[in-house]
Amino acid sequence: MAQMWITMGPQHPMTHGLWTLRVKVDGETIVDTDAELGYIHRGVEKICEDRDFTQITPYCDRLCYVSAMTWANSYIYAAEDLLEAEVPERAEFIRLISAELQRLASHLMWLGAFGPDIGSLTLMTWCMRDREMFLDLLQELGGSRMHYNYPRIGGVKRDIPVGFATRLIAKIKLFEKRIEEYEMLLDESTIWLVRLQGVGYTKAEDMVEAGVSGPNVRAAGVNYDVRWAHPYSVYDQVDWEPAVEKPTSVKGADCYDRYRVRMEEMRQSSKMILDAIEKIPGGKNRNYSTGDEMIMTKAPTRAPEGATGFSNYECTRGASQFYIKGGGEGRGKNPYRLSIRSPMFITIPYVAKTMIGYKIADIPAIMGSFDPCIGETDR
Amino acid sequence: MSNDGENFAAFNSRALVEMVGDVTDEALKATKIKQFLGVLAGRYFNWAGRKSLFTLHLGIKCCAIEMAAAATPRFDGDRFGVLFRSSPRQSDVLLVNGPVSKKFADKIVRLWEQMPEPKYCIAMGECAISGGPYFQSYNILEGVDTVIPVDVYIPGCPPRPEALIDGFGLLREKIIRIGGAPSTGRDGERPVIVGED
Amino acid sequence: MGMRVTLEQSDSAAKSCVAVLNERFSGSGIKSTVEHHSNAFKMPFVRIHVTPQHWLAVAKFMKYDISVNYCSMVTGTHFPDGPAERGWEVAYHMMRMPVSNVKPNTNTKHVAEKLSGNDIPLEFEVLIALEQGDTPTVPSIQSIWVGADWNEKETWDLVGINFEGHENMHRVLNPHDSPDQFHPLQKQHKLRYHGHNEMYDDSQGFGRKPADEGRNK
Repeated sequence: MAQMWITMGPQHPMTHGLWTLRVKVDGETIVDTDAELGYIHRGVEKICEDRDFTQITPYCDRLCYVSAMTWANSYIYAAEDLLEAEVPERAEFIRLISAELQRLASHLMWLGAFGPDIGSLTLMTWCMRDREMFLDLLQELGGSRMHYNYPRIGGVKRDIPVGFATRLIAKIKLFEKRIEEYEMLLDESTIWLVRLQGVGYTKAEDMVEAGVSGPNVRAAGVNYDVRWAHPYSVYDQVDWEPAVEKPTSVKGADCYDRYRVRMEEMRQSSKMILDAIEKIPGGKNRNYSTGDEMIMTKAPTRAPEGATGFSNYECTRGASQFYIKGGGEGRGKNPYRLSIRSPMFITIPYVAKTMIGYKIADIPAIMGSFDPCIGETDR
Repeated sequence: MSNDGENFAAFNSRALVEMVGDVTDEALKATKIKQFLGVLAGRYFNWAGRKSLFTLHLGIKCCAIEMAAAATPRFDGDRFGVLFRSSPRQSDVLLVNGPVSKKFADKIVRLWEQMPEPKYCIAMGECAISGGPYFQSYNILEGVDTVIPVDVYIPGCPPRPEALIDGFGLLREKIIRIGGAPSTGRDGERPVIVGED
Repeated sequence: MGMRVTLEQSDSAAKSCVAVLNERFSGSGIKSTVEHHSNAFKMPFVRIHVTPQHWLAVAKFMKYDISVNYCSMVTGTHFPDGPAERGWEVAYHMMRMPVSNVKPNTNTKHVAEKLSGNDIPLEFEVLIALEQGDTPTVPSIQSIWVGADWNEKETWDLVGINFEGHENMHRVLNPHDSPDQFHPLQKQHKLRYHGHNEMYDDSQGFGRKPADEGRNK
């Protein structure tokens, strides 16, 4: 049978973002793939050379737009390394709570987009309904549903509002029951299991060699989480465990393991948030005014030539890193070079290679289970 | 045999059908019924079309998440007839929800050209209106209206889902005004911006 | 309670790596030091200054003897006003993660405080300074770490640093038909509206016409 290239072009309802996947098929089986990125390359690294350090935070929100708070936090840690700023402990707790809330919202968005790919349209409505709960909480903190511009160099912009703790605890406790509803819907559904199990095997050694990190590599049994391996913030003071899945086969982790790892991560994030809000220094029902020393310390605004800052942060999709060189224009007010490492940039060529050997109908399952977000890939 | 064939062939021939069509057309034009029917049909198609706007399933960047949120139970665009179609051949509205890069510019023009008339374009979010925060970038066009004629602008970064639904409402009002005018002939129309009043 | 790698563990791991590297490569202009971050827990990392001709040897040593698992980030910087021996700089960031004692396809719960030796996670930063000029060249490590493949493509695409020995080099973020020598992050390319004063200039651009108006972009 003749082989031909099929283009799943930039405009495609299933690619979760704007990229082209060209597959070479022999009948129904995929024999070769080719991924093309760059359709939303905005040149953020060049633009940031013209901005002050506080003006860069909104750009980092818009890198991976589904998990904006984690990317803003990732940049802020690099800027604090460069400018040598201290952060009060209450601010670190608030950053942890906001990052884990964002992780929950992002995983729900993933499930809400992944479900319809496999065929379960109910999941889209259920997940987006639950995600609205967390977007309301993040809106109380940051002011907007999606791009918050919330963390600042040296702390956070605003303290948690009055009554936030009560609403947070109530919503998280409700969500813990909702996770069980999702599992009831999915884990006993034959279609879900048949489409996900046995599809898209990935071996741990190959993923580590390629640099894949985050839930994708934890699904293969590799216990690597930047939150404990290169620690930052107050993750050692709250009660949690890394979510690692034992793969079901010696051939590696399949799509079902990657789905289970994210469900387990949602459980761990809920546990972390409930623990952190109880342990927050200064009490959960106090609200300090903006600029108070409990939530923010004044940080220098200029970085001399020769200073560098680096941060390693666990974003929702993997380990994201920022590398900033100081000494830009305005006597050091701007960065000389800002470099962004996106976990998805490394994973997408690996995803394209994973698909070889499966059928065309398996493409949505494999692609969706890796949770691509093209905003961070294209920068 | 051949006589019968010729007789029936005369009635089935294409030339006869065209001639009858021309005669009827002239008669309708002379009595102004054609103009009346045209106005009636146009009003009817506008009424039907604006209540069911099929939007192309195109998600460029962050505003696509708000577009998806507008289709979910809390905001529910479906009660206004907004449905997402995967193919440009079957959609009426091109909702541009992100910055257009140089690589994507000719593809978005191709999508626009593949859509059948009457078609409308909504620019959602700052990046589609004017380049947004990336207006200085070497790779981003300063607004999608440099390559495609835009009917409704929805400012915001990102605009809330309620603003998107309001944008569809203003597009409906615009359809009543301009109806099925081809998209190339709408240059004189003032663009509609959500939140202007 | 959440676990974490302690400062003592990382310090001892970093010091032993630096000792091994300095012993192996002493006297060839390769310098390894232990530096500390200024944020969070002030964790240490290993910084290595390498010359281009020794880079492949150092990379192989890092992969096989210190078990650096993956190449995470490749950054190129252009210093047109810098000193003669540092007109360009390539910075590699590599990571080590605890996989060596994990049997394939098992689920090992590490206890962070009990990791030792080459299992302790560590960050590595390799800096290669290149001379002023128009053709900065660095040997490619595509054959050593798979993760370096697309990172090097991106660095060539955006900054213009040539990677010798890299197969199938092509543009990955910019359009494929970009002009040949166009590498946007070099310092001679300026942003649009550079030097734009928001308050006094016409920030919406109604009155302003861009310099490339009328041209098909």
